[in-house]
Amino acid sequence: MKRCKALLFLSLGFCIQASAQQFATREAHISFLSETPLEDIRAESQEASAILDVSTGQLAFQVPILSFHFPKALMEEHFNENYMESEQFPKASFRGTISGLDPGVKDAQGVVAKGTLEMHGVSMEREVTGTIVRTNLGWSLNASFSVACVDHDIDIPKVVSENIAEVIDVMLSATLMPR
Amino acid sequence: MKGGLVFALLFGAASFLSHPLWGQDDLMSFFDEPSGPEVVTSAFKAGRIINVQSPETTGKGELNFIIAHRFGRISDGWYALFGLDNAQMRMGLDYGVTDQLQVGVARSSFGKTLEANIKMRFVEQKSGGGAPVSLTGYSVVMRDGMRFPEDGLERLGIHRLSYVHQLVVSRKWSPEFSLALIPSLVHRNLVDQPARANDLGTLGFGFRYKLNNRLSVNGEYHYLLPRALEDGLHNSLSVGLDIETGGHVFQLHVTNSRGMFERAFLAETPGRWQDGDLYFGFNINRVFQVAERR
Repeated sequence: MKRCKALLFLSLGFCIQASAQQFATREAHISFLSETPLEDIRAESQEASAILDVSTGQLAFQVPILSFHFPKALMEEHFNENYMESEQFPKASFRGTISGLDPGVKDAQGVVAKGTLEMHGVSMEREVTGTIVRTNLGWSLNASFSVACVDHDIDIPKVVSENIAEVIDVMLSATLMPR
Repeated sequence: MKGGLVFALLFGAASFLSHPLWGQDDLMSFFDEPSGPEVVTSAFKAGRIINVQSPETTGKGELNFIIAHRFGRISDGWYALFGLDNAQMRMGLDYGVTDQLQVGVARSSFGKTLEANIKMRFVEQKSGGGAPVSLTGYSVVMRDGMRFPEDGLERLGIHRLSYVHQLVVSRKWSPEFSLALIPSLVHRNLVDQPARANDLGTLGFGFRYKLNNRLSVNGEYHYLLPRALEDGLHNSLSVGLDIETGGHVFQLHVTNSRGMFERAFLAETPGRWQDGDLYFGFNINRVFQVAERR
């Protein structure tokens, strides 16, 4: 009977360990930059969500389009109304798996995330490189990648083509804590 | 005892083996948590539907320069190039104190009128169980600048002033279609005929329908409440197009009201559509960010 109890605890232990493999945040930071000789346009969101399962390598990000804020109110309006059509497509997301992650390593590790980037209703298979560092309690994740507007059917009319870059640089950072 | 052992082993194995599977479902469920109500933005493109206020205000730290023209009667024909020879102009500046509060000044050549106004959106329309409409208040004081007629009657400076207070009840029904209901109160310190009332009310409505992301059809109508109907004055009806190009919004329209401040188009519209008293006009909105947004 004692052995049985020990096994029960052991099995429960597996459950607890399973949930401890997941790290998440609702305050991930995503910013982007459109760079042209005429104008640099920056925006950032502090309201992205991210979750990582260290044992399986599964990684997901999601950000509400309306949470991106710009230095000019008019830019924000145009971003939501004309380019991202945020009422129709309220969120952008990435769902995939990271490879190259060794949960035992303390130092920064270069990893590759492979998965689906969905934005403006268009999904693209992408491979994104980034770095991940083990922190006291969780993981800290950084990555940058670029998005071509045309890949996601984001239409930039000729009149503003000199003000808005065709390829946008996206930077993200997240501090993931045990879930 | 044996059963217990088997159970424990099975349970342990099950929890161990199934872990990657439930991990996936669980990963996605993290995003399922409902978010709070979101503010519905951009019911209209510009601060005015055509003549009347829309629920939109100038963003915080933004200065909106509005230059508007109403030309002469289209029915004047070729002689006056369908009215283009003869323009009335209004120049206005609106400043966003916050994203919801705007103050403005303007000068119209029509009646040499100077105005000061304040506009505040105090309820935002929200999706997901929030307020179904946005509520915006607008108040304007107008000063008529024409020389007093030399008819021997005594007039004071205060007689030049008139006031309009409005409530804009607006709802964006879909990304394309927005509708606004706009009751207004007009007070004139002095009216030009003894039979006319100093106070009158109008009930207006306006809409916009987006044809695409940069083009919309707009319309507005203001009904003079029965007590306010005066001989020779009519309800104001305007239709137009909003065209957006980067930093400008161009509004082109046809209206039977030539004045571009509230008292003139709400309470003093002399012409009617069916009589051909139509004026072509435009508003150009140009926005400058002059102060930090945060």
